Amino acid sequence: MLRTTTFAAALGLLGSFAQADTLTFYTAGPGGLADALAEAFQAETGITVNVFQGTTGQVMARLEAEEANPQADVVVSASWGSARDMHARGLLMEYLSPNAAEVPDFLTHSHYVAQGISALAMVWNTQSTAPRPTEWADLTEEAYRDLITMPDPAQSGAAFDLVAGLEAAMGDAAWDLLAGLAANDMIVPGPNAAALNPVLQGAKAVVFGAVDYISYGQAAGGETIEVIVPASGTVIAPRPMMILQSTQNPDAAKAFVDFVLSEAGQNMVAQTWMMPARADVEGLRPGINDLTVIEVDEDAVAARRDDIIARFNATVINR
Amino acid sequence: MLRAQSILTTLAAAALLVLVGLPVLFILLQAVFPDFARGSLVGAFSKLAILTENDRLLMQARNTLMLAFSVMLGCLLFGLPIGVLRGLFHVPGARIWDVVFLIPFLIPPFIAAIAWMMTLQPRGYLFQLLGFDMGRFLFSFAGVAFVMTLNLFPLVYFAVSRALEMVGGRFASAARVHGARPVQAFFLITLPLSIPAIAASLLIVFAMSIEEFGTPAALAARTGFDVLVTGIYTRLSDWPIDLSGAALGSVILMAMVLAAFTLQNWIATRRSYVSQTGKPADMDKASLGPWRWPVLGLFLLVALISVGVPLAAIAVTSITGTISGGLTWSNLDTRHYMPLFQSGSRAAQALITSGWLAVLTAFATAAIGGLVAYIVVRGTGRGRAVMDGLSVLPNAIPAIVLAVGVILAWNSPFLPLTLYGTSAILLIAYIGILLPYPIRYAVARLRQISGSLDDAARVAGAGQMQALRHITLPLMAPSLIAAMMLVFAIASRELVASIMLAPAGLRTVGTFVFAQFEQGSVQTGMAMSMIAITITSGILLAVNLWLARQGSSAFSG
Repeated sequence: MLRTTTFAAALGLLGSFAQADTLTFYTAGPGGLADALAEAFQAETGITVNVFQGTTGQVMARLEAEEANPQADVVVSASWGSARDMHARGLLMEYLSPNAAEVPDFLTHSHYVAQGISALAMVWNTQSTAPRPTEWADLTEEAYRDLITMPDPAQSGAAFDLVAGLEAAMGDAAWDLLAGLAANDMIVPGPNAAALNPVLQGAKAVVFGAVDYISYGQAAGGETIEVIVPASGTVIAPRPMMILQSTQNPDAAKAFVDFVLSEAGQNMVAQTWMMPARADVEGLRPGINDLTVIEVDEDAVAARRDDIIARFNATVINR
Repeated sequence: MLRAQSILTTLAAAALLVLVGLPVLFILLQAVFPDFARGSLVGAFSKLAILTENDRLLMQARNTLMLAFSVMLGCLLFGLPIGVLRGLFHVPGARIWDVVFLIPFLIPPFIAAIAWMMTLQPRGYLFQLLGFDMGRFLFSFAGVAFVMTLNLFPLVYFAVSRALEMVGGRFASAARVHGARPVQAFFLITLPLSIPAIAASLLIVFAMSIEEFGTPAALAARTGFDVLVTGIYTRLSDWPIDLSGAALGSVILMAMVLAAFTLQNWIATRRSYVSQTGKPADMDKASLGPWRWPVLGLFLLVALISVGVPLAAIAVTSITGTISGGLTWSNLDTRHYMPLFQSGSRAAQALITSGWLAVLTAFATAAIGGLVAYIVVRGTGRGRAVMDGLSVLPNAIPAIVLAVGVILAWNSPFLPLTLYGTSAILLIAYIGILLPYPIRYAVARLRQISGSLDDAARVAGAGQMQALRHITLPLMAPSLIAAMMLVFAIASRELVASIMLAPAGLRTVGTFVFAQFEQGSVQTGMAMSMIAITITSGILLAVNLWLARQGSSAFSG
């Protein structure tokens, strides 16, 4: 009896999912942003947005498993490379939003566009016994022995971009730097949150290569941490937004992308402490023009991904 | 009469095939055909090369087995003594202890790992309170095994205490009459008769510890201690995604669990463990006398380590304003609870969703599990062993892979109508994942119940269904109810399958908490865990007290 009811309820849900005035949105973090965007968009257009939020890996695994029968209409990932790959496989619909005019050229593409941007930084616990670092290389000093964490490049696309970027900027010296960090007993505990938490409690003093916006937010919430961007340069991690070719709802999907890139949408992005994609919308923190950005040849890096990860593992993690 | 049994068999077989067989089949297909998810069958077996050319896989397999055996040993160490005491003696507050030892199942493993980390790591809570830390121990092989043991030892506790209650004092008394000393009677009679139950619980411990992801991911990554399941997750969650590689890794895990299952089955069936023959039994447990206090002390110690410490760490974290602020009065702040209590908040929706999912899963698994167990033990058909083996597989498959199997199976474009994309798909996955519990518990129980009880009923004129309803089912009920409570506890906080399968827009307690850890505030995640644990343990306590008033208990014969 109970189960009959469930099935009936499920069928009811099925019906509502098929309606034209709903949109399915798969997105990587930040937490709360997707819900806020969905609610504001619904208030403006009456179109319901169903949100699935996970890590980039979870979003991609789900897209992959559903590939025979795709469910999502719009996707935001935290890895620019994932959008390039999906485009190369012909999964994306061509669309350039009129609102993308204010987005810098290198962050727009015929099939995808940046939603917001984060940068990679050092995050230092101001209460720690270790001195305030200013450069990546500072962390190889004795004062930081056993006090450094780093997100795993295999699990964090941004941390991977940092390794690739440092290599592009410094050549083999980048690997010497990483070897120096490893010799200083740096730990690589997992994705971003896993690297940050030991620093929050003080078990470690600095994160090498943290995604900055999460830490800006936590510092604003009273945590005694400081986000430090080395003057020598860092990499940025734009978050691509894309419409799937398979969407049954292209008009609603386009309207949603337009909305995210509108001034109102970009202000919501700014509230998460990311840099808004649009150059004319103010962020809460230093913007792209305040950073020394290391240019990375995306194609070359993507082709060498396995090599770079393998070398990182051999140099730092010893596996 | 014969028809009734064949209908039941068909029903149970169909349920198992749809809920377990189908996802497993699609995982196997994915392992063989790398592009299966894209609807293509090209390049068959091209992925198998990673099995042979990869030393790391072998090392991971060895580490996995080492960890599983250590956890089994640890579970015996923690669960056996208190289980024996609970089963044979009047332990003060027995019903309370039963609920207390369910709490480890209510705490999601990755939260327990984070709680231990925040307690033991340098400058963690232990350091802040007592001035020393145990980081070196925690981030080691022993530490990982320790934390996983604390998550799983209640399985042994419940299995042992229930089995001993059933074997009861009668056989031991017979031994005593024949001149055996109490200790002799225990080791020669009582303990051996509860072997099926102990072996069954150890099988689940084994399967769960090779499948468990949260603890190794949080702790073992720091030590460079790689296990198979972390490798599988890496393939599924790191760009680029490798569905086939993950499926292959899961096939190795399935092989391990099937081997363990065969061994356990051999132990459990090579002789008779029947102890419930229908003869009136003296169910009175022995009194502990002056030993009461030391025994109570032991229960308290185990509870303190396994429940007290992680729960305290979760509670404390949820009411600190900032993590860097540490344990000071000025840092005491309940603001992280605020977003949970707003009316119509997503937290409330998540609690309701997880609540009804857990209840439905508990009833469905008990119904299907009881049926399968009955057929496996009492039936005569040839497919019995296959059914039994099939039912244990979900415990071997990492939940994320089973979830992928469910997507592949249920999101096929050829299906005219699918439950994928609705909350019903979560129910299907939960039932598949959690079916092993009721089946293992009920099979072990049935092996202790003599078939002659059924025969007696049949001789007295009852039909087979009547005998099942009035004799076997009531005797099975305690272990089914215990399994239902376990299933309810685990389903109420399930994370991994939920992340993969929850339709867009639907949140469960697990996904809500995880999102808070990943992107929001650790404290809000801990606060939500606290609320969920409180509600769930309250429900379990209420059910247990209600059962007690009905004259039986979920955890007693």
